[in-house]
Amino acid sequence: MKLVIDESRCKGCNLCVLVCPYGIFQEGKELNSRGIVSPALNRPERCTNCRLQALYGRTLCGVCQMICPDQAITWVEERPFEPHRVEVEF
Amino acid sequence: MIAPDWFREDRLPHIYCTGCGNGTVINCTLAAVEEMDWKREETVFVSGIGCSSRAPGYILTDSLHTTHGRALAFATGVKMARPEFNVVVFTGDGDLAAIGGNHFIHACRRNVDMTVVCMNNHIYGMTGGQGSPTTPPGAISTTTPYGASEPAFDLAELAVAAGANYVARWTSYHVKELTKAVTTGMQTPGLAFIEVRTQCPTNYGRHNKLRTVPAMIEYIRSHAMLVEKYNRLTAEGKPIPEGTFTVGELVRRSRPAMGVRR
Repeated sequence: MKLVIDESRCKGCNLCVLVCPYGIFQEGKELNSRGIVSPALNRPERCTNCRLQALYGRTLCGVCQMICPDQAITWVEERPFEPHRVEVEF
Repeated sequence: MIAPDWFREDRLPHIYCTGCGNGTVINCTLAAVEEMDWKREETVFVSGIGCSSRAPGYILTDSLHTTHGRALAFATGVKMARPEFNVVVFTGDGDLAAIGGNHFIHACRRNVDMTVVCMNNHIYGMTGGQGSPTTPPGAISTTTPYGASEPAFDLAELAVAAGANYVARWTSYHVKELTKAVTTGMQTPGLAFIEVRTQCPTNYGRHNKLRTVPAMIEYIRSHAMLVEKYNRLTAEGKPIPEGTFTVGELVRRSRPAMGVRR
């Protein structure tokens, strides 16, 4: 699975930056085509949902998706699947 | 995106300002609806006037967008006419506490079987930031430029006193707890009232030194206190910090309810 921010919906409130336990979302720096600074992703393969959602068959943490007021955060299937080497720091 | 088949995707992105908590509350409510496994043709969303009341417009079911403050009156009518329907009311603090206060206490007294989700953003957000009955003392708004001098309305305690069957209060930061509370409220027969303290960075935060969205939500989070902790501190006679409000499940009881299917 792959973590995706829908740029056509994100309004750049940075609430996902506040709640992500892994610090995957980071405040963006560049304006997109709609004039909004949407967050940048820092090694999104560390996200539990990216790694384990298919295994468990349900959304695991999902707080960013839940708190996102603009419904912009989703996980999509990755095709073709590319294995990642993931180091999860605690 | 939570509950993708309940959103009217052609209407998104919605009209709310950057970082408005109402979107979060819609997410949590729809997650609860999905958990309840309600059918779309048996679910009705009712709302009044205000920022929060635009929410049913983004949901793919039948909905009623009614006059200011009368959402609960219309919802009572829906429930009485078709008791098999599941009624959810989205309302704001200005809608529920100010103009619709009487409808609110009488809906609680009658204990009509529905779920009321109140998005309390402490201000009249849509019309330009006038002070509402829930504006905390000292807060600056358009109509209180030197700080609000009146005590604020505690909506959850009002619902407890008026006789609602399930009353809870959470903030838009506590998404998981809020979803759980809304689900419990939907399962409870009788009126379930869930007050959600949401952030309004545009019209409340901007005037109260909480300019960014994370600052505003951090303020709300740090001023929330679990009701168990509040009760323990009061029992021990310890001081409660200024400006805190209780969060959690305030009451769950089984008074006789109106409009429940038998």
